[in-house]
Amino acid sequence: MDTACTPRGEIVTLENVSYSYEGNRLINDISISICLGEDIVFFGAENSGIDFICQLIVNAAGEFEGDVFFDGRPIKDFDEIEVHNFRKGFGYLQRNFGLINNMDVFENIALPLRYHSRLTSREVDERVESMVEYLKLEHCARRRPVHLSSSELLRTSYGRSIALDPDLLLIEHPLEEQCLLNVQVFMSALQNRAFAPHKSVIIITYRPELYTEISERFVMLHEGRIVFDGSTDEFARAENPYVKQFLQASIDGPMQML
Amino acid sequence: MYVSVNVPGFIKKIVQRILSTWNGVQSFYFYVVSIIKSFKSIRYLRFRSLYSIVVNQTRFTGIDALPLLMIIALMLGGTVIIQAHTNFPKFGIESFIGNLLVIIIARELGPLATAMIVVSRSGSAIAAEIATQTQNREILSLELMGIDTKLYIILPRIIASIIAIFSLIIIFDIVAFFGGYLLSISTVYIPIGVFIQTLLDAFSFNDLFLTILKSLIYGILIPLIACYYGLKPRSNFEIPIYVSQAVVRTLLVIFVINAFISALFYF
Repeated sequence: MDTACTPRGEIVTLENVSYSYEGNRLINDISISICLGEDIVFFGAENSGIDFICQLIVNAAGEFEGDVFFDGRPIKDFDEIEVHNFRKGFGYLQRNFGLINNMDVFENIALPLRYHSRLTSREVDERVESMVEYLKLEHCARRRPVHLSSSELLRTSYGRSIALDPDLLLIEHPLEEQCLLNVQVFMSALQNRAFAPHKSVIIITYRPELYTEISERFVMLHEGRIVFDGSTDEFARAENPYVKQFLQASIDGPMQML
Repeated sequence: MYVSVNVPGFIKKIVQRILSTWNGVQSFYFYVVSIIKSFKSIRYLRFRSLYSIVVNQTRFTGIDALPLLMIIALMLGGTVIIQAHTNFPKFGIESFIGNLLVIIIARELGPLATAMIVVSRSGSAIAAEIATQTQNREILSLELMGIDTKLYIILPRIIASIIAIFSLIIIFDIVAFFGGYLLSISTVYIPIGVFIQTLLDAFSFNDLFLTILKSLIYGILIPLIACYYGLKPRSNFEIPIYVSQAVVRTLLVIFVINAFISALFYF
């Protein structure tokens, strides 16, 4: 796939990145660039390495080989303060949502704004109110996470991850444990985000077929290596044997599944 | 009688214990250093984000602890005053009752009992809360948002603890003196004017200074140690172990520091 970026350039670049944990090679010499405004889906089977992509990008995985560049700067060189500042530059929707349990929906969404932004408290409240309305969370805005349904947790976490309007949004397995009927608001909001110019979305998932309307690039990992990197059309055609096996959930193919 | 003493094994255990303690001290030292270093990023911190944590923690540590603290203060104050009034005349030193109250209650019992109440209520709660947040990946989530967790979690709790402990010590002393006085008049009669004058004569600026100093030290140490142990668990089953350690170690440190301060200022 042609990955030449727009003049705004690459927002994230992984250069010969390898990552091991407790002696297991989880990411094996990956090189990939993600342009500003590009939306990309990483998929693969369990233990394929996809779950470490976001952690590597945000410098939360620990030591690794190779280099990760964010806006052209190697993240390995960041000191502790720079790490905090660079993490403001993206939103991160974790797989388990990572909501703060002693804060309600409103305060969870307001948290990054109260901590990082120069908005007044009133402006923060106004922005959060509009976010709550946009994500249809008015009925549960004063509820804490333990009293929320899965789709409300997802929308709250999504609201918090885009509160600072970051250029890069990282999303891990958003729909894996969701009823697809209840996530239409989220999907619509995600689509708006993905179509916005100069906003990138990286989605990690086991169900890439759900994002063909949103993403223009699909990357598949197996045993820590990239085995497919193509457009939505190439993904849909499933000519790549790995993609074909994955989409058909077949035991026959190049991947040995347990 | 045959006594078997495995000297090498015994020595080995002692050495292991010393090394383990030393490693613990080192680990705590690095933790404190990392917090001090994180103050470099304080200029990026918006204090409004800490406001609700400070308010909630002050309410829990201070206001919610008041009923328990006042009952304990009343009982301790009453006990000390009754003992003093019934026994001092036997030795002809009843004129020193005020001094004794100030020495026992204001200088030692007040700060120490307050610290014990705060450790058992708030220290354990802070350690359990942080440990649960760590296990729920809430702390990781804060870090991924670019929030300096050392400042965001520990600093507001230290501020709240200092405010709460100072207020609680003052309230403890007042309740212990006057509540104790009210309890004691059922057994011994002392005119209120004489009682107050005796207390005022015994009080010095040093006592007030030490109350502030102890509030500061306990206010910093209790949440600091609680958070240290709260951040330790690597699985859910370790949470009660570290919460218990947080309470026991904080109490130990508080007693040692209290003795040290008394020795430093009054010896």
